[in-house]
Order: sequence, then structure tokens, then C-alpha cells
Amino acid sequence: MASAALLLAGCGGEPAGPSADFDPNAPVTLDLAFWGNDTRAGFYKNAIAKFNEKYPKITVNSTFLPFPEFWEKRQIEAAGRDLPDVMQFDYAYLRQYSQNRLLLDLKPYLGKYIKTDGFTESTLGIGVVNGVTTALPIGTNAWAMFTNTALVTKTGAGAYPGGTSWDEYATWMGAVAKAGGGSVWGGTDPTGRIQNFEISLRADGKNLFDDAGAPQFTKAELAEFWGRGAQVRGTGATIPTKRLLEVAPKSGFGAGLTTSELTWDNFGAGYAGDLGADASGLALTAPPVTKAGAKDLYLKPSMLHAIAANSEHPEASALLVDFLLNSQEAGAVFGTNRGLPASSTHLAGVKLDPLSQKILDYETSIKDRLGAAPPVPVVGYGSIEEKFRQLGEELGLGTVTVEQAVDQFFSEMDTILKK
Amino acid sequence: MAVSLYLAFTRYDIFNPPEWVGFGNFVRMFTDDPVFLRSAQVTLEYVLLGTPVKLAAALAVALLLNSITRGSGFFRSAFYTPSLIGASVSVAIVWRAMFAGDGPVDSSLQVLGVELGGWVGDVDLAIPMMIILVVWQFGAPMVIFLAGLKQVPTELYEAAQVDGAGPVHRFWKVTVPMLSPVIFFNLLLETIHAFQVFGSAFIISNGSGAPGGRLNFITLYMYKRGFADMQMGYAAAIAWVVLVVVAIIAAIMFRTARSWVYYAGDNR
Repeated sequence: MASAALLLAGCGGEPAGPSADFDPNAPVTLDLAFWGNDTRAGFYKNAIAKFNEKYPKITVNSTFLPFPEFWEKRQIEAAGRDLPDVMQFDYAYLRQYSQNRLLLDLKPYLGKYIKTDGFTESTLGIGVVNGVTTALPIGTNAWAMFTNTALVTKTGAGAYPGGTSWDEYATWMGAVAKAGGGSVWGGTDPTGRIQNFEISLRADGKNLFDDAGAPQFTKAELAEFWGRGAQVRGTGATIPTKRLLEVAPKSGFGAGLTTSELTWDNFGAGYAGDLGADASGLALTAPPVTKAGAKDLYLKPSMLHAIAANSEHPEASALLVDFLLNSQEAGAVFGTNRGLPASSTHLAGVKLDPLSQKILDYETSIKDRLGAAPPVPVVGYGSIEEKFRQLGEELGLGTVTVEQAVDQFFSEMDTILKK
Repeated sequence: MAVSLYLAFTRYDIFNPPEWVGFGNFVRMFTDDPVFLRSAQVTLEYVLLGTPVKLAAALAVALLLNSITRGSGFFRSAFYTPSLIGASVSVAIVWRAMFAGDGPVDSSLQVLGVELGGWVGDVDLAIPMMIILVVWQFGAPMVIFLAGLKQVPTELYEAAQVDGAGPVHRFWKVTVPMLSPVIFFNLLLETIHAFQVFGSAFIISNGSGAPGGRLNFITLYMYKRGFADMQMGYAAAIAWVVLVVVAIIAAIMFRTARSWVYYAGDNR
């Protein structure tokens, strides 16, 4: 019983570290998992082909899923300690997987199999939880607003300048919706995303959670935020939630039904793929700001790479991670699809296509709004974020009131944080 | 099952050892989790509406097939096929596309002057859409009904006809009583089956149970609690509540069956 409990707790002792007799030319098969769409899958396929030019004996079996399903699958695998060797990883789950020793301690592999020269001290620190490096950032991104300029022009409405107040943004969305005549809307209700709530809090100098993992917002603040959503939806400026559900898993923006969307700045290639067009009509601009001069935005790892602690081939996995993170070849393949590369050697390989240039320009343009990054997300943050999204959806459908939604969110959050 | 029962009384996130919470999960379920109550409600709605409609459709088609002699084999296979493929992922995807805002169902209804909009994102139409999907898969109970109908002695119909009974009277006074054991069997089986709805709801709602939790059937909710939120103890507790509810419903059915199910040779 005690040994079973230890096994469940993942207390398997210190990691063994790299094998002294590892031969990169010995036949090895690795599993690689990532989230994304067909566009990204094509990039990975090309990158793996280039990796195999260097390491022909390392076979890489890659699989991909949309983001929510990707994590559901990982959670099931984590339960059985059967995670894929190499994973694209999300910041929201880093603490949970690291604390439970599901990820390989990368320290013995850094410098030897994974080059670190291209990273700064701070970017290397992103993947450190409780003093252990369990992941390395692929790229960085920031919260942003995408606008579909081609669609805006088509409706005849004027362009959104970016960085206005939320009220001005709502007015602009209303103008687009009016010009769109019921088939195009200005945007999606921004109160459905926890990141918009987060930047509102950060405008007041707070984060969602403090260093100890305690929430830094009250029920009244959340009720006020969701109440604003009701006002915007009431004007007809945003796409009806029912319509959004019809086009899911595409977003309203990806389906060409809305002219703006607040999201992470590396989502452009996905949108271009969804829209079935080149990205030339997409523009990146600063999100609305709650208080002028606020340091509400921040750079976070767009995604990371981690190796499973259960991997039978940690050295080969480390070589693959090194290639995907540092090589110029991979940089040339991915561009900024996975965020603005964190490794300078990777970035050197990136041929800045117009969309990548827009991301670079955008992150430069918001320098004055960038504040310190919040603490590494609490364990269960992924579930909290999803609950927020679902309640936002229900508010849009009118199946819950703001008060009910706030109560449900706090009850759920309390349970998750106690877990 | 013993492990699952134990876990139902614990807080267990898979990564850490289970922590005993007594009846905490059950108390939370009924006092502090409106989503659970709503899931239970939509599941019961689906079971109570979907099962009788499915059985009625199965019986109607079985009666039709029982009355024809030419091509019955072909029609039997044709009607049975959906129950083989109905639970597949591909059918759920097709269903979603068919009932979407610009899908063929909506377009056809518009031609008839009915403006419903899409069903997929409509809180009022989501369950009817799922019921249509399950009713479409009536093949399995239909085959069982058909087998039961073949067992009804023709002399009974002849005697009823001689007594002046019309088709409706013969149906209620001969077919239904003689078929009652088969009806009971199908009812029990399909009720339990309806409680297990998962795959199609998962696909159609993109795993979220949308719109507004109307497709968040209890199995889907349990899955999300367990594997998305890693609340395995809570999910186990839900599983046991579902098991008990299904067992109670089955027990009620067995108890009431004594008054309406007729078995040949029964002296009552």
C-alpha cells in the first residue's frame, strides 16, 4: 500500500540523468505530441524530415490534437505515466506536471544535448518550477487584438486604431455590426476570456493569482466585469453566442464572421488557415486598455517543449528538443507559428514573412504597456480558464445570470485550488 | 468497482495519494454543484423523452415489416444499419453538420417556411436533435420487436377478428399484451442505454456540453470532472450515484412489470 502510494505520488527518487553510452546512431523511436491545426502539423512534418537528415536512425512519430483535447489526452496518459517522449507544453499545466514529477529534469541535458547559448537567463528561467528546469520555452507571445482589415473594408466601416478604451472598442464593434447587416459582427464578447479579465486586473496592479496561488480578485470585481459583457452583447455589436457554437471549433474570427478578436499574438497563421486566405488582410494591434498608461500586458511563453519523465530515450528526446528549439532549419520551417522564437539561434533561421514581421512589430509597439509577468500559473489553471470560458458562453446564451455565474466560478475555483 | 467505491469517498487527482473526505463528494454534488444537478436534469430529460419515442418508432416499423412479405430482408437490414453505425464519431460529425445553421435540415425547414435557425447552438433544440439521433438508431429494438411479433399466434388474431375486433382493437388487446415481455425487455435495455449517451454528445458539443450545458449529459460531465479537471474522486462519486439511480429505475420497472407484462403460462 505504501509503495503504491509512493508510486501514485510520483516519488520515484532522483532522475538517473543521461546515459554515458548513448549512441545517436542507434535506432530509436520517439513519440512527439503537439496541439495545433493542419498548418502546424505540416511544419512539424517538414521539421522532422530535416531532423532526420541529421539523425536518420531516430524515428519520430508525431500526433496532434486541438488544445482542449490535447490536454485531456495528456491527463489520461499522465495518470498511467505513459506520456509521449516529447511534448509541446503549455504554461498553464507546467506547475502541475512539474510538481508531480511527470517531466524530465532537463538540467543534466542542458549544454550537452540541448544548447542553451541562444537563450537569455530570463527565458531559461521560464521553465523552472521549484528550482527544477522541466521545460524550455519555444517562443514568447503577448495578448493582442487581431483585426481582419479586408473584412472591415468590405463592410465599409473604419479600421480599429488599437489601444482605445473598452467603451470605444465597443462603439467600433457596433459600427461594424451595423455595417455588416447581420452577417458580420465587430467582434466576440471580450468578457468570455479570462485574459481580458486579467488585463483589467493588471491595470489596477493586480494579477489573477498571487505568488502563493491565492486569487487577487473579488466576486464584485468579476460581477462588474461580466456585467460589462451583458451591456456590449445587448447592443448587438458582438456575434451571438449561438452562432459561435455553430461554427466551433473555429472562432467567429476564424470563420470570417467577426472583424476582431482578442487572443495571443501568434494565432495569425491559424486564423489564416481557418479563413483559407493569406494573412495579408490580418492586422495586429494593441487590445483596449482599462486605464491609460497601465502596464497590463506581459510576455509569456507561447508554448514550451518538455520531455516526459517516463521517456525511455531521454537523450534522443533531448536531441529532438534541441533541434526544435535551437536549429535555424526548424526556425526557417516554423517562422513565428509557435510564437516569436525564444532562442536567438532559432530566430536567426526565421525568415520573417509579413505575418511574422507583424508580430515582431507588435511586440515592439507595446513595450510601454509590458509589465512584469505574473507568477507561474496555479495548479489547475487550465480548468479555471476553461470554466471561465464556459460561463462566458452561458452568459451569452442567457442560461445563467451574472450572479449565478460568479457563484459558480468561485465555487469551482475554490475546489480546484483546494485540490 | 471496489477501488471506484473507495475513490468516491476521497479527493483524488491521480498525481497525489487519495485523501479521505467521507461523504464530502456526495454533499458537494447535491448542495454546491449546480452543474451536476443540471447534467442530471438534461440526462433524465433525454432518457424520458428519447426512450419512448425510440421504442415507438421501432415498434411501428417492426409492425410494418411484419406485415410485408416481399423484400422484408432488405428493409430489415436497411433499418438495422443505423444502429450499427449510429454511435460512431463520423455520424456525430455528420449530425452536427446536418443540424448546423446552414445545414440541410435547417435549409429544408426554411423551404417549408419554418425558421428555426441552427439546432447545434440552440438551448431549446439541442436535446431534440440528440433525440432524433437516437431514434434514428431504432434498428436493434426493432429486430427484437419483430422477433416477438413472429411469436404471436395467428389464431389469436383470427379469434379476435371473428369476435369483430378491428385493427386498432387487435393491436391493443392482442399484440401489446402478447408482446409485453419484449416491450419490457426493450424498455429496460434502452433506458439503461440512454443513460450511457456520451460519444455523440461529446463530438457535437466539441467536448464542452454546450449549448448552455444542454448536452452536458452525466457521462460527459463525469468524464470532464475526471480527466479534464482531474477530480477523480468526485467523478467516481458521480458514477456511483448514476449506478444507484439506474438500479432504482430498473427495480421500479421490474416491480411495475408485474401489473402489465404478460407471460404465457402465467397463472395471474
